[in-house]
Amino acid sequence: MKIIVKYMLTNVKERRTRTAVMLLSVILSSALLFVSCSISASYESAQRKMARGIYGNAAAVVRPAEEGECADSTLIPDLPTVGATAGILKGSSLYHEDGYYESVDLVAADLNQLDNINKPRLADGGELSDLSPGQIVLPDRFASKYRIQRGDTVTLRVNGNPEHFTVAEIAAYDTLFLRQTRGATALLSLPDLARILGKTTGYSEILVKPAEGVTREALIADLKEALPEDICEVSEAADEAQIEAGARQKSMPFFLISFFAMTMSVFIIYSSYKVITLERLPVIGTFRSIGATRRTVTGILLLESLLYGGIGGLLGIPAGILVLRLILRGMGSSLSGGIEIPAVCPPLGIFLSLSAAVTVSLLSAWIPASRAGRLPVKEVVLGKTEEKTRPVRLTVGIGTALFLVSAALPRLVSGTMGYAAGVFSLLGLIAAAILVISLFADLCAMGLERLYGLLFGNEGRLAARNIRGNKSIAQNITLLFISISAVIAIQVVGDFVTAYITDVFRDAELEGFADGSMDREFVQKVEQMEGIRSVVPVYVYNNEITADQTPLSRAEATDNLEVYSSMFGLAYTEKGMETEAAAAFREKRAVILSEEWLKQRNLSLGDTLTLSNGGASYPYTVAGSFKSRATDVEAILPASCAVSDFGKERYGLLAYTARDPDGIMVQIRDLFGETPNWSRTTEEFNQDALSTVEAFLQPMHSMTYFILLLAAAGVINNLLIHYIQNRRTAAMYRSVGQSRRQYTKMTLIEGFSAGLLGAAAAVAVSYMEIQTIFLVAGPKIAMQPRLEASVFLTAGAMGIAVNMAGCLVPLIKNKKMKIVEEITFE
Amino acid sequence: MRVSEEKTAVACRNIVKEYTVGGEGVRVLDGITLKVCRGEFVSIMGESGSGKSTLLYILGGLDRPTEGNVSINGTDLSGLSDETMSRMRRQKIGFVFQFYNLIPNLNAEENIMLPLLLDGKRAQDYSGRLAQMLELVGLTQRRKHTPRELSGGQQQRVAIARALMSRPEILFADEPTGNLDSRTGAEIMSLLEEINRERGQTIIMVTHSPEAAKSSSRIITVRDGKLKE
Repeated sequence: MKIIVKYMLTNVKERRTRTAVMLLSVILSSALLFVSCSISASYESAQRKMARGIYGNAAAVVRPAEEGECADSTLIPDLPTVGATAGILKGSSLYHEDGYYESVDLVAADLNQLDNINKPRLADGGELSDLSPGQIVLPDRFASKYRIQRGDTVTLRVNGNPEHFTVAEIAAYDTLFLRQTRGATALLSLPDLARILGKTTGYSEILVKPAEGVTREALIADLKEALPEDICEVSEAADEAQIEAGARQKSMPFFLISFFAMTMSVFIIYSSYKVITLERLPVIGTFRSIGATRRTVTGILLLESLLYGGIGGLLGIPAGILVLRLILRGMGSSLSGGIEIPAVCPPLGIFLSLSAAVTVSLLSAWIPASRAGRLPVKEVVLGKTEEKTRPVRLTVGIGTALFLVSAALPRLVSGTMGYAAGVFSLLGLIAAAILVISLFADLCAMGLERLYGLLFGNEGRLAARNIRGNKSIAQNITLLFISISAVIAIQVVGDFVTAYITDVFRDAELEGFADGSMDREFVQKVEQMEGIRSVVPVYVYNNEITADQTPLSRAEATDNLEVYSSMFGLAYTEKGMETEAAAAFREKRAVILSEEWLKQRNLSLGDTLTLSNGGASYPYTVAGSFKSRATDVEAILPASCAVSDFGKERYGLLAYTARDPDGIMVQIRDLFGETPNWSRTTEEFNQDALSTVEAFLQPMHSMTYFILLLAAAGVINNLLIHYIQNRRTAAMYRSVGQSRRQYTKMTLIEGFSAGLLGAAAAVAVSYMEIQTIFLVAGPKIAMQPRLEASVFLTAGAMGIAVNMAGCLVPLIKNKKMKIVEEITFE
Repeated sequence: MRVSEEKTAVACRNIVKEYTVGGEGVRVLDGITLKVCRGEFVSIMGESGSGKSTLLYILGGLDRPTEGNVSINGTDLSGLSDETMSRMRRQKIGFVFQFYNLIPNLNAEENIMLPLLLDGKRAQDYSGRLAQMLELVGLTQRRKHTPRELSGGQQQRVAIARALMSRPEILFADEPTGNLDSRTGAEIMSLLEEINRERGQTIIMVTHSPEAAKSSSRIITVRDGKLKE
């Protein structure tokens, strides 16, 4: 055993470059897997921190059953499951400076109670001990934005009345000051806020922390049982399931990238092991001839791979932590609220990365190692073993058939089966490309021979000739194609998602919207605001109306269809339909439907639908159909008919255009006061969407560089293998008069060509993959992806650059080559 | 044979070649001086490890001596750059090796054309010469075959044609029959003999076979790193 270990360690030590490349590929893939696992945990932790915000370590929240009422802290019984409680009083205010308005949520609590659940942290690291009436604590983000310092006086408008406060402390943007929406949260003294709001007893909500060892579920169950439902309601402080699901969704792309990375690692280690076993055949023969069993030979080779896997896996984890920190730093700044995301390294992630590194190494080495073990002793000793080649026609035939099926399937299948067809198509396209890549390279090389002959002379012609039938170059092309197509697919899909999510109002005129309950007086006030141009109030029916007994998830009613259409960017199915629909709206009970809804029910223009709200039913004529990215409404009705038929006194939505959409929005929020609403300018909406989508996509984009790094490791490995396998050929060339300059020229031309072919294959396959992705997702997407040639060309150029850089390895190695040593012995 | 300087194809003076094996210096060639005239067919013989192949490679410029110098057609090889030495290998020197050393992915005629292609020549300008070479080595019908599709003897014939394609001053052959059966070996030797006789081609050949050495006009022996004529 000792001698075997010594033999193995000598091999590892002597082949330094290869050892380094193999280790690098294992390190990179295990680091990527570790990052994938950790990013999920880190993101979850950050989301939890952010979602908790004001709730701190409270598990349950008790609120009054009636809106506007206050919850009395004495209501909370002395239960053994309750650890601590903190009553919170909440209000809202408006901060105005230099024409800029900002919403400031006001919070007040007994500081002693608050300390037990969600202790505020001051920006200077100090503790907040007391807060007197007239004092306010502001978060550092808000304070620095408006250059507010401790001791300054700030004025907030509460219900239109000015309130003056002295800034007692500046708090860190943390704990109860954290928020998911724009604006800021300020802490006041309890008597102050009670006075301002006119609520002298009770709280807006009571936070409850569980006693030690008590689960959230047990606490909530106990509270629900103890508290009367008609007085207060008990809910979870933060929706844990939603946080977990969100984190899982965010980490999914990383697992996909890890899958790519692992595939590439298997490819790299497998091809390395093929050469390692080939090189060691004489030694294997000697071992076998002196009585070593197949198992021993396989064992020796596998032990070595175990070493690579173990060391690579162990080094991959600190590398992963470094990568994680880099990614999280960028991700934190793009999360709404801009909170710092802590790097969480879950033990499961460490275990998974390490075991994946070892398993991938062992599995990749298994086939060549066990093949070497099975070789007949006599043939190994005499050096007569030859690699078996598969019939080219069969391989290409399978590849072509697979390619055709993969390309056609998503076009033929739809519905639920469409997703399965899509997955098959994506994998099939890659597999087909791998199968036909050798033939593709050979055919291209034939064309390149002529071209290079003209461009680079005989060296170019010979370099192109060397590509034909060259397995190492075909492997390189495959590796490049996998990595470049991954980069292109990530880039295109990422750019599309960004454009899709952040540009929903592109065709719509509205510049702001308010989603909440509004009466006629509210709308009139908005219409009278300075700088307002156009206002569309809309009646909203969410799951309230059925059409031919099919529920409409959202129906809206408007008095002015023309303005509504331009406001929400309705794209009517046919030209002239808008005018006809507007006329129908004025004359009768008419309805216009979303194209998808219309198609799903096989309806046509002029059909009559029976609309009902559970009471009376009315016939409505289908007067048009539309598509819109700005609204998910399924049916639009004339307000005059809808209000009388289905009853609705208050508007649910308002859209507007204005000279200063932000100014109007602040005033609308002020008008809403404490009434729940979701009001945004389109710019705010787009920015919020952008920050969400960027938080999601930005790390994915960063990961593409790691894929390219892994590709570089694989390419270097392949070129090294190519060099080892062709060292003798290189020496033969030199012996008939090839100079070093010519060798360099030919190697670079070969490298460039392999890169070019890899890029060409990647561009073609990723184009097909993108088509498949959008064919499968197409029915749900009302926007065509823009395929920028620059994305394809840049990714291709990066692949070529990686391959050209990898050429340095054989060039350096060749400088040290001794011709006589290489050509004297076979 | 007395040879004038003008007729000297290759000459070497005080050639010493040392290797370091296991930290110790081993002198393989120990002060060898030799001249080979144009048109000569010289066989270098010696026991295994005597340094005969090392001498051949040094004379052919594939290896460099530790001491001493080599000149081909009066050109001292010691100071040549890689570019000049490579050009000399393409134009003035032909090599035939024991294991043929053909480029596996090139067919017979591509292998034969290789020195000219590397020299920047247009293949179509030399189609006549290529046909002659193929005829000389008897492989006209096998010109499109790759080395894998040829027998050992045929591969060696391709190697000889490749070595002669650029009409070199000197043909170096290292055990050209060493990997062939006796009948094929004899065929190759008679081919080399014919080339020397008919074309006046200078040949320096390393062999351990006295039978093969009979074809040559001069036999020299290397023993313990020294030359015995």
